[in-house]
Amino acid sequence: MTSVLILNLAWQISTLALVALGLAIVFGKLRIMNMAHGEFVMIGAYAPVITSSLGLPGWLQLPVCLLTVAFVAFILERVVIRHLYGRMFDSLLATWGIAILLREAVELIFGRGYQSVSPPISGTLSVLGSDYPAYRIAVIIGIIIGFAALYWWNARSKVATRIKAMVGNPDLAEAIGINTARLSAGAFIFGCCTAGLAGLILAPTIRIEPMMGLDYLIRSFFALVVGGLGSLEGLGIGAGIIAGTQSFLGAVVSQTYGYLAVLTLSILFLWLKPDGIRSSSR
Amino acid sequence: MASVLLPVSLLLAVLLLIPELFGDFTAYQIGLYLIYGIAAQGIGFLWGKTGVLPLGQALFFGVAAYITAITLRAEGGLVLDLALAAGVLVIMAVFAFALAALIFRGRNESGPYFSLITLALVMIAEQIAGTATNLTGGFNGMSGFQSLGNLDPFGGFYYVIVTATVAVSLLLFILNRLPVNLIARAVANNEPRLQLLGFPTHAVKGAVFAFSAVIAALAGGLFASHQGIVTPTSTGFALSAEMVILAAVGGRFHVLGPLIGAVIVGWASAELRDSFPYWELLMAVAFILVVLKAPGGIAELLESAYRRFRPVGTTVPKPAIVAPKPRNGVAKSRLQFDDVKLSIGFVRILNGVSFETPATGIVSVIGPNGAGKTSALNTITGNLRLTSGSISLGDTRIDSRPPHMALGVGIGRKLQVPSVFFSMSVSENLSIAMMANRAGLIDLFRPTTFQWRSKPLADLLEHPSVPLQEELVQPVEHLPQGHRQFLEYAMTIAAEPPVLLLDEPCAGLSPDETGLMTDLVRDYQADTGGLVIVIEHDMSIVEAISDKVLVLHLGQVLAFDTFDKVRSNPDVQVVYAGGTK
Repeated sequence: MTSVLILNLAWQISTLALVALGLAIVFGKLRIMNMAHGEFVMIGAYAPVITSSLGLPGWLQLPVCLLTVAFVAFILERVVIRHLYGRMFDSLLATWGIAILLREAVELIFGRGYQSVSPPISGTLSVLGSDYPAYRIAVIIGIIIGFAALYWWNARSKVATRIKAMVGNPDLAEAIGINTARLSAGAFIFGCCTAGLAGLILAPTIRIEPMMGLDYLIRSFFALVVGGLGSLEGLGIGAGIIAGTQSFLGAVVSQTYGYLAVLTLSILFLWLKPDGIRSSSR
Repeated sequence: MASVLLPVSLLLAVLLLIPELFGDFTAYQIGLYLIYGIAAQGIGFLWGKTGVLPLGQALFFGVAAYITAITLRAEGGLVLDLALAAGVLVIMAVFAFALAALIFRGRNESGPYFSLITLALVMIAEQIAGTATNLTGGFNGMSGFQSLGNLDPFGGFYYVIVTATVAVSLLLFILNRLPVNLIARAVANNEPRLQLLGFPTHAVKGAVFAFSAVIAALAGGLFASHQGIVTPTSTGFALSAEMVILAAVGGRFHVLGPLIGAVIVGWASAELRDSFPYWELLMAVAFILVVLKAPGGIAELLESAYRRFRPVGTTVPKPAIVAPKPRNGVAKSRLQFDDVKLSIGFVRILNGVSFETPATGIVSVIGPNGAGKTSALNTITGNLRLTSGSISLGDTRIDSRPPHMALGVGIGRKLQVPSVFFSMSVSENLSIAMMANRAGLIDLFRPTTFQWRSKPLADLLEHPSVPLQEELVQPVEHLPQGHRQFLEYAMTIAAEPPVLLLDEPCAGLSPDETGLMTDLVRDYQADTGGLVIVIEHDMSIVEAISDKVLVLHLGQVLAFDTFDKVRSNPDVQVVYAGGTK
């Protein structure tokens, strides 16, 4: 029994960390408060719906997901976002409108109803004396490996430094040879694609519907408020605290109390520790 | 007064004509749009003035609607209902104020954090409303109650809505003409400056948010009575989003904008939603376009069309009134740094700064770039928190307090880059400065507060060489740099602080203007007998005005003495003339 609880916790924390990763890049690094972040999760989750309705084989889900999300993100970046780097509040307003637009567009195409898809890996594995879905265990391991790789790459790559330089002073960054237009577009699209990937991974375990994105936006935001912007450790800590509190209270009391608890926690952090637990110097 | 009464009576006339011209059913529909419009007016007031965007305003709307439904069901009688309504509004105002003040404490921006918290709140409210079946009736909602005062929603109740619409609009028009309007706008305009003028900006935002929450709750109460049913969607996220769109498309900077937006969008939506499947998409695109290209919305288009026929008349300035005495706390005290250390991240900015100034006189702070001069002033006003050590003024310890408390103990500050309210006129800037440290809460609601003048400010404006007198109605963004320096200086001394901190007041000034500025500073010090601390790079100015000179180098005090002794100090010579140490 307890091992299922622990595995559930690991599932919740790892998926929230993946969902919040894109927001951490776009909000934490590019200073774009992307209110449409959850909608990219939603579009990613619709990828299996697209492939099955077109009769495509299952292995195409991943390319379809990444291509769709990257295409939408690319168009938005070109048309709207690129005018808004560094203007956090304006970006909030514009992406708020984009979020509504994306929800309505998906509703128009797929309808308002719930969709569901089956996981690519079925069956259960016996872990520590209890049976747990094999798909979830594969996802947890995959996300852990993915984050380890990202951490390793982040410590060696100069891209994060270039992004910081670009947001701090775009003109100077351009003058020292950084292609700011390409770098910012790349970072934005990469952030959106991780959100889409998270949506694809979550798709077999949730009800897929046009309004599903908001909840992921809010929980990613909470994770960043608590963990602090600007570092992968902060993201991990924040996701751990938020997903941990929510799933523990959700299991012991009720979902509503879990949600209320993380909301209260976030307000307390904004009040008493506005930069979160691990804040990088700004 | 005509500018208030004309639009309000026009609004009243139009609203009263609607049932006569279009019949009761149209009036019923328009009534619903007006209810949404009232809530959107609250959003417009908050967002348009303070720049704070609430994404969960349906929280107040919906909770008030549920409470109204429960009360009307209990059938306690009209008087009891109204008394309860007043109580509910007060509780909501307190809740909203506390929430906003907590979140905004410690951050100088109206940014995304608050908006997202309100969004989270409305989502949880919708969830609770849908699951707490005993209290709210669950997803089916609450129904089966009479409207307020048993009025017919298709008849008499329309006039209740009209009364509320006109009353809220009248209130907003009146608030627009009171000093409190300037303070609210100043928050969005330049929050750090407003804090240095002694206004607790988090409380200002909290108060305006509470006001908008009360308006939303009022609309929610009308909604329950008008519709006869309350469901979880009335406290939901989608309604919150729609209200923001109404305020944006209608025009958030104008009192009637959100109302116009609500009626136009509501009517078009009713006509088109069924026949035109892309209606919701169109609304989202309209919102994005308004946000990016036309922040003023429909109201601004109407206003500029109207102004072609009737340009803005010039208003005759009212005679000045002698302002009340400022509430300056500590008078004539020494400023004392005791082993002050300040680090940000790995960078150590101040490494144990200790000195004590005299209680009166002019102290110049010099030192090479990066010596920690501006940071030292930032620690005095609380813009930076100390890592260790202490700063006191007289016997009062003043470090690590929020910046809005600095003026209260008598510290006025002019910043390095002129920091004024850029989208306001010169006289509006001066009015805010005159309220600093003088105005009580009631004064913010009295029009005569605009006419306040103090002697130092009047003397400054009447000084023949100071350029501001002719530019009173000009927007500040059109002023040249030098004039902005004088404006910010005028705003800083308007509150008559006994301790005046000036950060490079002569930067960007011509030689004539520099002479004028140094004269003004010397005169101010002589008149008040207070302490002036000036950061200055120009040694001729330093020599001319300083009683004492503080030399900072690498975050430490290199010398603190009279100008001549500092000049002959070998350490100072090494730093300024080069050489190795």
